[in-house]
Amino acid sequence: MATITLENVSKTYAGNVEAVRNINFEVKNGEFVALLGPSGCGKSSTMRMIAGLEEITGGTIYFDGKPVNRLRPRDRKVAMAFETYALYPTLTVYENLAFPLRSAGWSQAQVDAKVQEFARLLELTRLLHRMPGELSGGQAQRIGLARALVREPAVFLLDEPISHLDTRQRFRMRQIIKRLHLEKGYTMIYVTHDQEEAMAMADRIVVMHEGVIRQIGASTEIYRDPADDFVAGFVGEPPMNFLEGAPNLCDGAWMFRSGDRQFPFPNWLQSHGDKLPAALKMGIRPYDVSVSLDSSAPCDAKGEVFVCENMCDYSVVTVDMADVRFQAVTPPSFSANRHQPVSLKFDPTFMRFFDKSTGKAIQVSTNVQRINE
Amino acid sequence: MLQQRSSTPIEILRYALIVVILTASLFPIAWLIITSFKPADDIMVSPPRFIFTPTLDNYTYALHKANFMHFIQNTLYVAVVSTVFVIVLSSLASYSFARYNPGGGNILFFILTTKMFPAIAVVLPYFLIFKEIGDTAVGKALGIGLDRPGALIVSYTMFNLPFAIWLMVSFFQDIPRELEDSARLDGYNRLQVLWRVVLPLAAPGIAVTAIFCLLFSWNEFLFAYILTRDAARTITVGVESFFTLRGILWGPVAAAATISVAPMLVFVLILQRYMVRGLTFGAVRG
Repeated sequence: MATITLENVSKTYAGNVEAVRNINFEVKNGEFVALLGPSGCGKSSTMRMIAGLEEITGGTIYFDGKPVNRLRPRDRKVAMAFETYALYPTLTVYENLAFPLRSAGWSQAQVDAKVQEFARLLELTRLLHRMPGELSGGQAQRIGLARALVREPAVFLLDEPISHLDTRQRFRMRQIIKRLHLEKGYTMIYVTHDQEEAMAMADRIVVMHEGVIRQIGASTEIYRDPADDFVAGFVGEPPMNFLEGAPNLCDGAWMFRSGDRQFPFPNWLQSHGDKLPAALKMGIRPYDVSVSLDSSAPCDAKGEVFVCENMCDYSVVTVDMADVRFQAVTPPSFSANRHQPVSLKFDPTFMRFFDKSTGKAIQVSTNVQRINE
Repeated sequence: MLQQRSSTPIEILRYALIVVILTASLFPIAWLIITSFKPADDIMVSPPRFIFTPTLDNYTYALHKANFMHFIQNTLYVAVVSTVFVIVLSSLASYSFARYNPGGGNILFFILTTKMFPAIAVVLPYFLIFKEIGDTAVGKALGIGLDRPGALIVSYTMFNLPFAIWLMVSFFQDIPRELEDSARLDGYNRLQVLWRVVLPLAAPGIAVTAIFCLLFSWNEFLFAYILTRDAARTITVGVESFFTLRGILWGPVAAAATISVAPMLVFVLILQRYMVRGLTFGAVRG
């Protein structure tokens, strides 16, 4: 087991392509951390540097306080599971699992005991004598995990291990991986572009974009208090709604004005209204928007229905407001025809505001200084 | 339903075409084999005689009088050794091209350009070069020089290498990189990864490349004709030696040609399975 620390780590590829820029974070012993971001954000490069498969061009990576920059992959005691499973196609499942142990010079009896143990843990015993070509994606990935784990690594790295699988298999693998973590207590780093996977499994999530870290936090933190508009828009399904506007003092109360719409800032911002930047972006999650067919009810915005999708457990209503399109999650009983006028009400507790020029979140409760930055 | 389908005009045309193509490609071989068993008097008569008393005279002539076994030994030696050289060099080179792309594609293209001129353009310079080398101590020690097998081995290696590299680069590119990453995490260094993981996976590709190289070296005529005289003479040139001033000895030519075709025919039939697997390599990887 190990604690991993990244200090000002950068990766520049030939031709001055900056994949990772100056990132800092720590994965504590036994922690499950997800690196989350869209493709090309540098998350895989970061993981490959931790594994030792990629040279570190700047900064230092520490395992338990010791720098590992110069260590070869084998000496870092890391294991990795790959998106493409990376099973040796010419070897049986058994031999695939035995491969890392044989390379470490184990005796046949030791190898057999270990292989059997992990085959049981990941429900593979029946498959041991098959060839990789005869397996389904889910089976192949379970073997990929088992092969990574047989060496009992200090750190377990997973590079989008389940994104090749179909939805049903993905759900099942998510539970297997999470359970494995809880049972064995491995330090785990999990790379994914799927926010749902990150939320479901990780203790903490590192959100990356264009080679830099945008936010580090537990899933609720990232979902509820995104550090900037990128994180806000990337995390959450359906995605957060955004409305551009400006602060406006009206009868002694600070209002958010956007076109001909105007509604008051939530209470926690009222006393800081004069320090707000001139151009703002309001963000609100579809779950925090309520829709009403009653046009005379008090509302924050009006629009007409674009489409209404009934998902049985809930409905997603898309509302056209001329300049923007909002989504709201409603009870499944709600139904509306297209072009039907509706009014929207935003839950002030969950309204989030971002400086339009920098994208940074306006945060008062944690740090008043932030507003003036 | 199925029965109906097989008798449509298109199906008939299909089989007719197959018959035409098979006849066109198999006739010369059939002629060769039949002629090799014909007595001299029966060969050039018109109309051709299909009923004759088979004889082994032509084979006896080719093998004993013309010392054809010697040519076969030479050919086998040159073809096998040059193929081994080509495979060792090209698998290392193409692995490097597939993984590290040195020269950003320029070097790989340069290698191809060495195949862009006809063999006849280089054979005379080669003649002069081997003539000079043959007189030096190094040339004598390595068996390189005119009428020495080393000259043909070097020439065939040079000629097959670009082709082999180009063929194998794609085989190596098809091997998922993660397999190598995984093996490195398992504790192997880069050379061990190449030896334990990459080469076994590239085996079908290597087999295909080896077959092509072997066939080329076995069938090569021009270089062998110019660079050898007697001691290092190969079968293709050996067959040509029956084209004498007094006329072409068709019987021995056919016998010699049959002997030279046979080993490659057997070889290809045995390896046919691997060749097909090699050519469809991308589809079978795990």
